Amino acid sequence: MPINFKVPIFDIKNLNFTIREQKILTDISFEIFAGEYVAIIGPNGGGKTTLIRMLLGLEKPTSGTIKIFGKKLKEFKKWYKIGYVPQRASLIDSSFPASVLDIVSMGRVAKRKLFSSATKEDKEIVKDAMQKMDICDLKDKMVGTLSGGQRQRVMIARALASRPKILILDEPNTGVDAKSQRNFYLLLKKLNKEEGITIVFITHDIGVIADDIGRLFTINQKAIICNDPKKAMSCEDMSKLYGIDAHLIHNHKHEH
Amino acid sequence: MIEMLSYDFMQRAFLAGIIIAILASVSGTFIVLRRYSMMSETLAHSALVGVAVGLVGGYNPLWMAVIVAILSAWLIEYLRSSFSLYSDAVLAIMLSGTLAVAVIVVSLGGALNNSLFSYLFGSILSVSKEDIITISIFGSISLGLLLIYAKELYFVAYDEEVAKTSGLKVVFLNYLLVSIAAVIIALSIRVVGSLLIGALMVIPTASALQYRVGFAKTIFISLIIALLSVVFGMGLSFFFSLPSGATIVLSVLVLFVLSLVVNKQ
Repeated sequence: MPINFKVPIFDIKNLNFTIREQKILTDISFEIFAGEYVAIIGPNGGGKTTLIRMLLGLEKPTSGTIKIFGKKLKEFKKWYKIGYVPQRASLIDSSFPASVLDIVSMGRVAKRKLFSSATKEDKEIVKDAMQKMDICDLKDKMVGTLSGGQRQRVMIARALASRPKILILDEPNTGVDAKSQRNFYLLLKKLNKEEGITIVFITHDIGVIADDIGRLFTINQKAIICNDPKKAMSCEDMSKLYGIDAHLIHNHKHEH
Repeated sequence: MIEMLSYDFMQRAFLAGIIIAILASVSGTFIVLRRYSMMSETLAHSALVGVAVGLVGGYNPLWMAVIVAILSAWLIEYLRSSFSLYSDAVLAIMLSGTLAVAVIVVSLGGALNNSLFSYLFGSILSVSKEDIITISIFGSISLGLLLIYAKELYFVAYDEEVAKTSGLKVVFLNYLLVSIAAVIIALSIRVVGSLLIGALMVIPTASALQYRVGFAKTIFISLIIALLSVVFGMGLSFFFSLPSGATIVLSVLVLFVLSLVVNKQ
């Protein structure tokens, strides 16, 4: 599906975030449009997760404005349009009593009306989300017994079950084997290309997905936006941001 | 068994015990999953302040316990979310603080006698008809709210932040859960006693979690365990003339150990 450059999903202007007099993010401005696939990279402690948390309303910016679907963050109510998969997705407590179906069904909770149980439509959307993530056969398994790669797909199915327009993923690859990771990138690509879901993805694996993504944001207190990710790896900006030779980062990523 | 139920007071005791078992185990599942287990202990002690005021001032102790427990629950939730203090420290402070207040109120009022003792350890055999009516009314309201918001509360217990970013009113849901827990705990202290109600809320769920089943089944197992414990415990209490609160808790502990053994991998 083509990218719609008319209406930004996120419209961020002059965002600053300071905590205990330490600047975490400085003067960040960007727009993310419907249908885009944006990857966010940057060194640890560079502010990637903070930025994402501000977009989701979990942290308040020190200054600057965030608009979501044209509305100020405070006035924005349709949060089900945004699917969030946090960093710790693969690290959930293994004794939490939840089957895969229990977790994916949570994706419908915010949309339901009180007093009403899951409708036929809800059940179908949940089933559809599980099909897309290829986890239907795990339906009755406890999430605690799943592998890292399986859990990751369950978390995304939960996000998909709210029928989001945009998926925001914060490095959900912790503890996931290489093969599952490759499958995971294919799935993201498919969601973006075939379903038209906008994707914002914090990752370290930029070398692997450089072909899939549309734009690359490098965040290290400031943001540098690169419209041609394939060239980004040799960008001078990269070395400035990391403070080391960018080629080293590139090579390092291919060792995995 | 039949002989036991031929007494009026035993019938009332059983009825009260069964209602409390249902309330404590179902709400307990949410409390444990939300990692509020210690809060149930603290609220049980806060409720004693209500009991103390009731005993000294001549009000219905059960009603007063409900009111004070709800206020304490709100205070704890407020402190926990606003000041990011170590939340277990907040609970410990409230627990000893409220117990101290309760004891002082009672001794100033000259009522430091058996009546407070019966609220500490529970006195199921002295449950009155009026108590059963109060427990049934407040209990149904709490259980109803819990079931209406079950899916939302489950989501928040699973991951508060993701629930929030999905658009759930997490602050409201947190206050709702602690209020429901407060009401149920306050209702229960007449039966199981404030020193022991925490056990009846937490242990059935802790046992059910050993079976590693989904959410609905976990609630169901914890309900069965709570019911069995109350029935066994009251039987033991009747036949061996032991305090009912203690025998109920001992029964639930036995079932907990059994659940551990059966599910040992």
